[in-house]
Order: sequence, then structure tokens, then C-alpha cells
Amino acid sequence: MKPILTAVSVAKRFGATEALIDGTVTLAAGEFVALLGPSGSGKTTFFRCLTRLIEPDAGQIHLDGRPIQHLKGARLRAARRQIGVVFQQFNLVRRRSALTNVLTGFLPDIPLWRVAGGCYPAAALARAEAALGAVGLAAKAHQRADTLSGGQQQRVAIARALAQESRILLADEPVASLDPETAAQTLELLRELCRIRGLAVLCTLHQPQLAERYADRVIGMHAGRVLQSRRQ
Amino acid sequence: MTTAPIARPATARSLAGRLRFVLLLLLAVGFYIACLRFSEVSPLRLWEGLPRLAAWAARAWPPDLSEAPILLRRAVETLAMATVGTSFGALLALPLCLLASRNLAPGALLYHPARGLLNILRGIDSFVFALIFVAAVGLGPFAGVLGMALHTAGSIAKLWSETIETVEPGPLDAARMSGAGRVKVILHALLPDVLPALCSTTLYMWEFNLRASTVLGIVGAGGIGQELKNSIDLLLFDRVFAILLVILAMVTAIDLLSAALRRRLA
Ligand SMILES: Nc1ncnc2c1ncn2[C@@H]1O[C@H](COP(=O)(O)OP(=O)(O)OP(=O)(O)O)[C@@H](O)[C@H]1O
Ligand SMILES: [Mg+2]
Repeated sequence: MKPILTAVSVAKRFGATEALIDGTVTLAAGEFVALLGPSGSGKTTFFRCLTRLIEPDAGQIHLDGRPIQHLKGARLRAARRQIGVVFQQFNLVRRRSALTNVLTGFLPDIPLWRVAGGCYPAAALARAEAALGAVGLAAKAHQRADTLSGGQQQRVAIARALAQESRILLADEPVASLDPETAAQTLELLRELCRIRGLAVLCTLHQPQLAERYADRVIGMHAGRVLQSRRQ
Repeated sequence: MTTAPIARPATARSLAGRLRFVLLLLLAVGFYIACLRFSEVSPLRLWEGLPRLAAWAARAWPPDLSEAPILLRRAVETLAMATVGTSFGALLALPLCLLASRNLAPGALLYHPARGLLNILRGIDSFVFALIFVAAVGLGPFAGVLGMALHTAGSIAKLWSETIETVEPGPLDAARMSGAGRVKVILHALLPDVLPALCSTTLYMWEFNLRASTVLGIVGAGGIGQELKNSIDLLLFDRVFAILLVILAMVTAIDLLSAALRRRLA
């Protein structure tokens, strides 16, 4: 199958720390790839390079066969719309409701004046509510983000990424704060989206059992290098 | 690997270290003495002037409240000046602080000039700006408003950009990843978190400007300060006393109101 996201030898150093030395991955539509690696091995740095939230020092990143590592302005924004991210630290706007946070996922679709005035169209609210419902948080839609429990915040972060309806999902430890049952449901949901919508998922996980169970493919990372790539 | 230097205990400080400390102390004392001389501090002259002060104080009692309505009108003029000056300043500060916050600036090309402009505006007092505007637009509160607006723009933009720079980058990153443009990202993911702090800063500047605007009258920029200067020039000390009472009452009332509002924002 044709890959939608490929990265070759992406590298990033912070001063003396070589956080990422060889970030290499291929992701095809409908594929669920798990990325395993010890703490500090460069997984988050790799994700931040793929999304250009930090500028990689070297390497190539292709989206649909087109390089994105030099894109700027409107083209970069268009590329980012294709990539949803579940951040390891959730990154919710603390003083806003769960629902408003989920709206962030499709901010480009909401007119500027509505964003400024905080009066969102009914269709947008419905889309955000649906995403919250998918992670079992419909009841918490109007609660302020900083009053939600850790696991609830994590699920809002997942709902925000799902509401974006992107073709690619980069999920950084998306189930780290969830109980085993909710974690299983969440990964099951991502699996479903791969199958039904052809979503391509790259997901870091700390538990190998979960990777074995849900991923089509598991890749490992160690000290800044993507190591083995094996099919299941 | 080099080992980190271990701090020596104070008692074991070297002789050279102590000598340097004494030398610095002597320098500081010398500087302070020079400052006293340059500012012509003279206890003798204060002592000789005391009887005159006492005589004036005696003449200031009872305060002359016969013109209370005029004084109140002038006080309202000062309040209006501070309010309009602060709001104009805040409007000017808005684009300035977006360019002068490191985490929002579109690039170093605009960041450094914006930062420079902001420091110039902040570095020059409202009083000095007002002096210049009196020459340009004539006597009256409008000159005071313009002067205050410029200085306030610099001060508020500086405080606002400091607030904005301490904000967590995470939520901004999340909003950027949706592919949204800069303005939407700021409105949706930044403003809700910083708005209370920004409003609080603005209220604080309002209080500050009210206190500052009592002296703006001295350069002919209207308000209660103008009455104060006229009365001192004419040696009408009972009237001066009345004016000071009005200023004190107004400043205290606004301080309390602003503090209450800021508490609600926190
Ligand atoms: N902004 C930064 N400045 C300096 N060093 C950084 C920065 N970001 C990451 N690092 C370093 O880069 C290395 C890789 O960090 P990264 O966050 O990518 O690890 P990770 O694999 O996501 O770890 P974890 O599983 O704990 O989340 C770490 O040693 C980290 O300290
Ligand atoms: Mg990480």
C-alpha cells in the first residue's frame, strides 16, 4: 500500500543532547503502528519533528509523497490539518470547558468572528460532542478542563484529535493515564477508525502487551534511533 | 567530566575576597555621600524652613470647601483623563505586545524593533509626553490623555508580554496542530488563560495613572492638578488642603474599587 507519511533519518539535537538520531518510519492508510521505547529515547521529539512543532536538524519527511520539512505559512497549516496529535501532556486550555477544548481540533472550520465571540455554530458543537461521546465523556462536556481528572483530561485530548478528522493520528502515550479497561476501549476505538476510515495511527506505548494486541506493526526506539521493524 | 566547584564555607573566605568586599563597600558609601551632596540635602535649611511650614499649615485650617462643586468637577476631569488615557494606551499596547512576546512574534525582524519601541515609550514619563503634547494640541486634559496613552502603551505592553511569555506552550501547540492561523490560535488557546491577568494589569495601570494624573495639571494638562498648582501659586493654603482631601478621597475610592475588581478576576 502507498504510504501517506514517511520519515527518513530525521535528527534533532538539543545542545549536547542528541535527542533524535535516526527517526525513520513509514505509515500507510489504515495501519496501526506502535512505537515502543524507554523513557528519554526520543519518541516525543520524533513526533514534534514530524509535525514541525520543532525544526528537525536533518532528514526528510513526506506527506503523500511531498516533502513537508520546508513548508511555511498556509501550506504548513494545510499539512498539519492532515495530522491529528494526542499530546503526552494533554495540552488542554485550562480555563475552558472540555467541549471548547475539543473544538480546537477543527478550529480552521470555524469562522474567525465566531472564534473571537465564542459563539460556535451548532454543527461544530455537535461534532465536538460526538467526539467526546466516543471517548465516553459526553457528561463532562461543560466542565472546565482543569477540574477534570487526569484520565478524563487525557480522553479530552484524544477527543480533540479525533474531532480533527485527520487522515493521520500521532498518539503519544494516549492511554498512560487510563485504567486497563478504558485503555483497552480507547485502543479498540483507534483500531476501529483504522479499519473503517482508513486512519493511519502511529502510537507510542509503554506496555508491550498492548502493542502486541492492537498494532499491525511494532517498531522500537532506543537512544534516538528507530531500531527494528517487524510485521506481526 | 569536571567536578562541580564546591562552595567554600564563609569563614574560610580568602583575604583577597575580604579586601574586595571592603573596597566595594567603601565605593558604595562614597557613592551615597556624593548623592547626598548633589541633591543638596541640608538639615539646617529644613530646620530654618520649619516655622514657615508651620505658619502655612496653620493657615490651611479649616480647609476651604466653599468651592467644593468646582473641585469635584476637576476631580472628575482627572478621573476621566486617567480612564481615557489608560484605555487608549491599552489599545496601542495590543498590537505591540503581540509583536514583543517571544512566543508569539512572527520573527526576530519585528520582535526587536517592537521591544525597542516599547522600552522607549515606557522610559519616558507621561508627564514629559504631556509637556510635548501641550505644545502640540494646546492646554487642557486632551494633552494629558495623549501623554498618558503613550507611556501607558509601553508599560502595559511590557507587562502583558511578560504574562504571555510565561504561558505554557502546550495548548498553543495543540491549536497550531489543527492547522489554524495565528489569530485563531491566540484567540482560542491563549486569551482564555491570560485574560484575567491582562485585565488585572490594566486595572492596576488605571490606578497608577489616576495618581500620576494629579501632577499632569502642573504642565497645564487640566484636572485637579491644575487647581492645586494655581492655589499653591496664590498661597491659598486652605484651598490647597481642600484639594488634597479631594485627591486623597478619589484615589482611595478608585484603589479600593480596582483592588476589589482584581480580586474577583484572580
Ligand atoms: N527542549 C528540549 N531541550 C533539551 N533537551 C530535550 C528537549 N526535549 C527533549 N529533550 C531531551 O531529549 C531526549 C528525548 O526526549 P523525549 O521527550 O523525546 O523522550 P521520550 O522518548 O518521549 O520519553 P518518555 O517516554 O519519557 O516520554 C531526552 O533526553 C530529553 O531530556
Ligand atoms: Mg515522550
